[in-house]
Amino acid sequence: MNKTITTNIIRFILIIAVQVVVFSQITFTIGDVAYIHFIIYPLAILLMPVKTPRAVLLLSAFVVGIVIDMFFSSPGIHAAALVFTAYIRNTIIALIEPYEGYNTADIPSLQNFGLGWFVSYLSISLLIHIFVYFSIEAFSFVYFFEIFLNTIFSFIVSFIVILLSQFIFRTKY
Amino acid sequence: MYNVIQLFIKYGAHILFVVLEVICFTLIINYNKAQKDIFINSSNVLAGKITEQRNKILEFTNLRSQNDSLMRENANLIENLIAIEYATDAIPESDSLLSKFSLIPTRVINSTVYLRNNYFTLDKGSRQGVQPEMGVIGAHQGLIGIVKNVSDNYAGVISLLNSYTRISCSVKGRNGHGTLEWRNSSPLKMNITGFPKHDVIAVGDTVITSGYSTIFPRGLLIGVIEDFTVPSGSNNYNITVKLFNDLTSTKYAYVIQNRFAAEQIKLEKELMNE
Repeated sequence: MNKTITTNIIRFILIIAVQVVVFSQITFTIGDVAYIHFIIYPLAILLMPVKTPRAVLLLSAFVVGIVIDMFFSSPGIHAAALVFTAYIRNTIIALIEPYEGYNTADIPSLQNFGLGWFVSYLSISLLIHIFVYFSIEAFSFVYFFEIFLNTIFSFIVSFIVILLSQFIFRTKY
Repeated sequence: MYNVIQLFIKYGAHILFVVLEVICFTLIINYNKAQKDIFINSSNVLAGKITEQRNKILEFTNLRSQNDSLMRENANLIENLIAIEYATDAIPESDSLLSKFSLIPTRVINSTVYLRNNYFTLDKGSRQGVQPEMGVIGAHQGLIGIVKNVSDNYAGVISLLNSYTRISCSVKGRNGHGTLEWRNSSPLKMNITGFPKHDVIAVGDTVITSGYSTIFPRGLLIGVIEDFTVPSGSNNYNITVKLFNDLTSTKYAYVIQNRFAAEQIKLEKELMNE
């Protein structure tokens, strides 16, 4: 159990570091409206063990989100989105539960559940997260078109980066 | 207590979710300029809606004071109309004729119309400048009556609908003049006597004040001729007038102050005494 906690904390730190040091520096635009952001930090929450209690997920998400926000100097925006993602994470996992069920200790990774499952898990969670993030950032659905474009483009690049990272670092714990 | 704990175990995560999101949004609104602006703006839109509704309700309760201000404006406008009527006299004088008459807006707080001698009570008295023998007009510049007596804050008015009413009147565009009186027929009708029959009049002609007294300026509207006859052996018409003002439902009135009334009365008295 302690090992799980330690692993997760280390993973948090690594993911936050990569997000902040590498991917926060990369932003490019298409046209005037679409800003492409690499948003990979939800992975920290997505890779927590399958049967993690919701409260733990929420608190972890809040902490990770606030730390990310500190670096983005956007207090609360990432945290709000990530807390939401954490809140619905277990629901998503329950929705796409494979026929044989889950091993409670497992982390929901590519390694443990296979490509097909992981792609659907990651795409659903990440899409929701990015959409919520941009909605909160715009803070008004007046900008729906911008939110929509940002969500689509950022989702594509973030999804590719996260999937590649899962092939490179074969996460088992 | 047990129930509360049960509830918290069951829904703790959801409560936590709400709490955390509230914290996040508090942070967002307080520390992000763009979001703060949008939040303030949206809440302004909402607050604006609420304020607007509130104003609508307040406006309704304020109708009374708004009416008062409108009446003051009306009083000024009617003063101007009277002044224009007199401006054509074209005799330059040291005292401006434009300020000969001024109007005091008042509210009718009591009235009778179905008695033989009818009276009004107005809510302005000597403190506000109302004096006996002043004329009172209502909406549409129509006559209402003459102030009989005043207290500090109230004025008693003899209604037109009074057997003692005698008002000098004329027909618009004609030179003759007669006396307006009420014969207890109907609160909407009065009669003119003493109008000479050599003046040609027609049904529908407008009856106005003649201005031959200190009470009413000339040119104020009274009513239209509804019917007229010439009694045999008489030199005068017997005219029935339909009043413009419905005195049964009059709520607002203007008291006409004639600045030079005292002067005129004094002069006329001296003439009589000679």
